[in-house]
Amino acid sequence: MRALCENYRRDDLFGMTLLQVNFREASRSLWGSRQRSLLALIGIVIGIGSVIAMVSIGTIVQQEAVRQFKDMGIDIITIRKSFSENKKTEFNMDIIMRITEEKRNILTVAPYLTSGTEINRGRQKFSMEQMGVTASFFDLNKLQIRQGRAVSELDQNRYFCVVGDELADFLRKTGTSKILGSQITAEGRAYTVIGILDKVAEGGLRPYGMNKAMMIPISTALRTFQTPEISTVMARIAPHVSITQIKADISDYFGKKARGMQVEVTSAEELIERMKKQMQMFSLLLGAIGSISLIVGGIGVMNVMLISVSERKSEIGLRRALGAQQSDIQSQFLIESVILCLAGGFIGIILGIGISYLFAFFSKWQFIMSYFSIALGFGVSTVVGVFCGFYPARTAARLDPIKALRS
Amino acid sequence: MESLMLSIVDIRKSYRVGPTEVKVLKGINLTVEKGELLAIIGPSGSGKSTLMHMLGLLEKPDTGTYHIDGTQVIYDDDRVLSTLRNRKIGFVFQQYHLLPKLTALENVCVPLTYRGIKEGEVRKKSLEYLTKVDMQDRANHRPNEMSGGQQQRVAIARALIGSPAIILADEPTGALDTKTGEEIMDLFHRLNREEGITVVIITHNPGLAEQCGRYVKIIDGMIYSA
Ligand SMILES: Nc1ncnc2c1ncn2[C@@H]1O[C@H](COP(=O)(O)OP(=O)(O)O)[C@@H](O)[C@H]1O
Ligand SMILES: [Mg+2]
Repeated sequence: MRALCENYRRDDLFGMTLLQVNFREASRSLWGSRQRSLLALIGIVIGIGSVIAMVSIGTIVQQEAVRQFKDMGIDIITIRKSFSENKKTEFNMDIIMRITEEKRNILTVAPYLTSGTEINRGRQKFSMEQMGVTASFFDLNKLQIRQGRAVSELDQNRYFCVVGDELADFLRKTGTSKILGSQITAEGRAYTVIGILDKVAEGGLRPYGMNKAMMIPISTALRTFQTPEISTVMARIAPHVSITQIKADISDYFGKKARGMQVEVTSAEELIERMKKQMQMFSLLLGAIGSISLIVGGIGVMNVMLISVSERKSEIGLRRALGAQQSDIQSQFLIESVILCLAGGFIGIILGIGISYLFAFFSKWQFIMSYFSIALGFGVSTVVGVFCGFYPARTAARLDPIKALRS
Repeated sequence: MESLMLSIVDIRKSYRVGPTEVKVLKGINLTVEKGELLAIIGPSGSGKSTLMHMLGLLEKPDTGTYHIDGTQVIYDDDRVLSTLRNRKIGFVFQQYHLLPKLTALENVCVPLTYRGIKEGEVRKKSLEYLTKVDMQDRANHRPNEMSGGQQQRVAIARALIGSPAIILADEPTGALDTKTGEEIMDLFHRLNREEGITVVIITHNPGLAEQCGRYVKIIDGMIYSA
């Protein structure tokens, strides 16, 4: 008897024919009840979509962090007056500049102050930042001079300026053919352009709006701005020194020199940490939505499969009568469930990539396609399909063929 | 023994419905010779279908032994039973039981897909068997596009395609009008006569039974030769 069965071993070892036929028939059967199938898919689509978005956004943020690292270096910090500090104490230029002498871990400092303003050219207006900067500012921010030169120590109190890329564009469009050496009038003073900057990426520790800015010597700014307060000090720190040590040094210094002034120090590392935390919150949210949707979707799929099994009892009975083994029936329904979930997974992957694209777009970050997340999406769909199809498929396989035939 | 296609000895089967036990088959002995066309008649509810399910390995008897094509059936392994069904038995049902979403050709293919034969080969063979039952023109039609008689022909092609040891037909003309029923019976006779296929036909129509080589009666779970 068993020997007889051995004689009739299937011709193709891996059951490719059956798989092929099962696949086609499962697709047809799902398409036949597409309304019901679609309803079951919504959960899977949202679930997979969230998971994909989560992983993709994680990748995008990570890449962004790496980019900012590379751009600016991790040896940059910013120092700001603490929010709790009263208005009376201000950063003092001399005190700031001398910190490098007293605290050896601080290599370079670049204090700056900004003031929003507007310039007019004929009828056209351009809103921009006026920034008072030191020579070191250009180096710390890795600014590239396209034409002319940067602000130097020798320009103290002079009405010179270096213009950002967008401001240069504006000047060109409004009729200045030779920008270098031309004059810009801002807040009633005429500044001579001594340099033009390349476009610079925003974000990280860099001050906001540098592409639209005109940069003037900090000494000039301190004399001409309506509120001549140094808002921020950028600094380069010594490598391999802990940020805790740096912070202690800086607090100590300003505490002593500036009548107990409290400062807040932000490092590139902390910024990246903050970015990652933000991303984690987002991921957590998406992860929660994803898991819940996958559970709901999985139950939906299981339900659809159970309905399908009970509707097709006579088909199951017939197939058993024609020689289908229990395992054949089981794999038939498993395949159907997996196809259902893969279809949902496919739509979900598109949705997830769409979400992460929008996230990158609105964060002004570079979008990248995460192939890992696509593979993950298909993987998770398959697992959900197998997991949720298992019980219905087993129910189908264990049906009494006679009862199934007589129904 | 050589000439025996199947033999059952003292087969009994009862169902438990609530507290009562319904005895459906009460000790049945039956042999079918190779190349025989046997009819089984009996009134409704006498146990004909149960016997056919037994012969078709879909049902396990409470007691008794069953030999088919020289081997004794052992009922403990689904894989073995399914393989035997696939290789040895061809079923024809009163309600045709074609799969509604498949074409005639695809319906006929089904038994062979469980043998893992290449699809192209299966389809070729399927068309061959559709031709045998004169249904080659309807190969791409679905069951709801065919008449009852045509559907039953497709079902017969499906029963034949695996070259089984025996065809088991349970009231194959029960859902057909007299003329179509006769055509279907003619087909069975022709297959038996020309190709030597062993056929067991279950019917409650004594007229049809008498045309067959031999017939037996089932009454209330007991078998009587005519
Ligand atoms: N699964 C079952 N449970 C209980 N009774 C059954 C079952 N299957 C068949 N029977 C009973 O067995 C008897 C014979 O049924 P069946 O073999 O279908 O008769 P026939 O085909 O001759 O009309 C009937 O009384 C039927 O109700
Ligand atoms: Mg019956």
